Amino acid sequence: MNGETTGWREFKKGFILENPLMVLMVGLCSSLAISTRVENGIFMGLSATFVLVFSNIIIASIRKWIPDQIRIPIFIVVIASFVTIVDLSLKAYFPPVYERLGVWIPLIVVNCIILARAEGYAYRNTVWHSFMDGLGMGAGYTVVLLVMGVIRELLGTGKIILFNSTVISLGPFNPPAIFILFPGAFLTFACLMALLNRYKMRKKE
Amino acid sequence: MIGRMIRLGTTLMVVGLVAALGLGLTYTVTRKKIEEYDRQVEVQACLSALPGVKSASEIKEDNGLTAKAQKKYKDIQKVFTCGKGYIFLVKAKGYGGPLTLAAGIDKSGRVKGIAVVVSKETVGLGSKALEPAYLGKFRGKTVRDKLKIGEDVQAVTGATITSRAVTGQVKQALEAFDLIKQ
Repeated sequence: MNGETTGWREFKKGFILENPLMVLMVGLCSSLAISTRVENGIFMGLSATFVLVFSNIIIASIRKWIPDQIRIPIFIVVIASFVTIVDLSLKAYFPPVYERLGVWIPLIVVNCIILARAEGYAYRNTVWHSFMDGLGMGAGYTVVLLVMGVIRELLGTGKIILFNSTVISLGPFNPPAIFILFPGAFLTFACLMALLNRYKMRKKE
Repeated sequence: MIGRMIRLGTTLMVVGLVAALGLGLTYTVTRKKIEEYDRQVEVQACLSALPGVKSASEIKEDNGLTAKAQKKYKDIQKVFTCGKGYIFLVKAKGYGGPLTLAAGIDKSGRVKGIAVVVSKETVGLGSKALEPAYLGKFRGKTVRDKLKIGEDVQAVTGATITSRAVTGQVKQALEAFDLIKQ
């Protein structure tokens, strides 16, 4: 098998088989909190993907050089640096988004997805595979955020606003605000999990 | 043993230095933009808090007055002055985090308008107490008004904490104005 096909397999794995949110169930806290709007999902997903990809690349490329005993502090320094870069850049170039994502951007540092990929994957694999792994995990994370965002924003506010223009509107009705509050996050996530499990069980039969 | 400790320490130091270098660069590149934006948000809020002020060049931050107000009212962030009156930036704790409002007060001590500077209140609930319909109710209030929820001010349903914060901020701005005027 050549490098490209295994690379693709690493990408696909993060997307479906080992989707960080739906299968590994890591990094749920921030996902539940910020999936109130599709736009949040886009930026949060992109930010996390950026951090994942670059921390994976750096860690994979210096992995032979990192002493085993201090690998975790080094991972954290690498991850935290990329998170801070995202944090500052978002604040400088996309201030409205930054205001809404608020504390969740700095909290990407402690997002289990990223440390788990650094420790569990990038530390033991090549740069190319780690890059694809980060990309796949990031994409899987982003897609779930988008799906949750669509459901919650549409049901909770009655319309979807992307970059200051209304994309979909359900017309004049009083939307159940519970969907954009925390209980709505759990409800939406539970329904998605149930659907996915049903699909998996059907496939097994 | 000692050799290994030194090696580990040096490795960590090198990683830390490289990271710090990268961060320093990012910070230098983005700093100006971030400061510009923060300033712009404040000025925008000031303009809408004091109707009649047309351009940003009319208002000026007054550090002396800020220091004077802060001695007694810790939540006052900044005081701006202009020909029409004063604008106070007041920070409080909202439901979702820090909540900063700009309160415009004219020379006779009446609230002319309230504008939001920074808010993390829940959209659809707390944010209802930050809509013009609610903020407009404070127009014309003076330091002699009680400004107490349940008495002369009503809280917005579902936004009790935010309403309380807003009312407190307006009260504080009025009291600070009173202090400055003395």
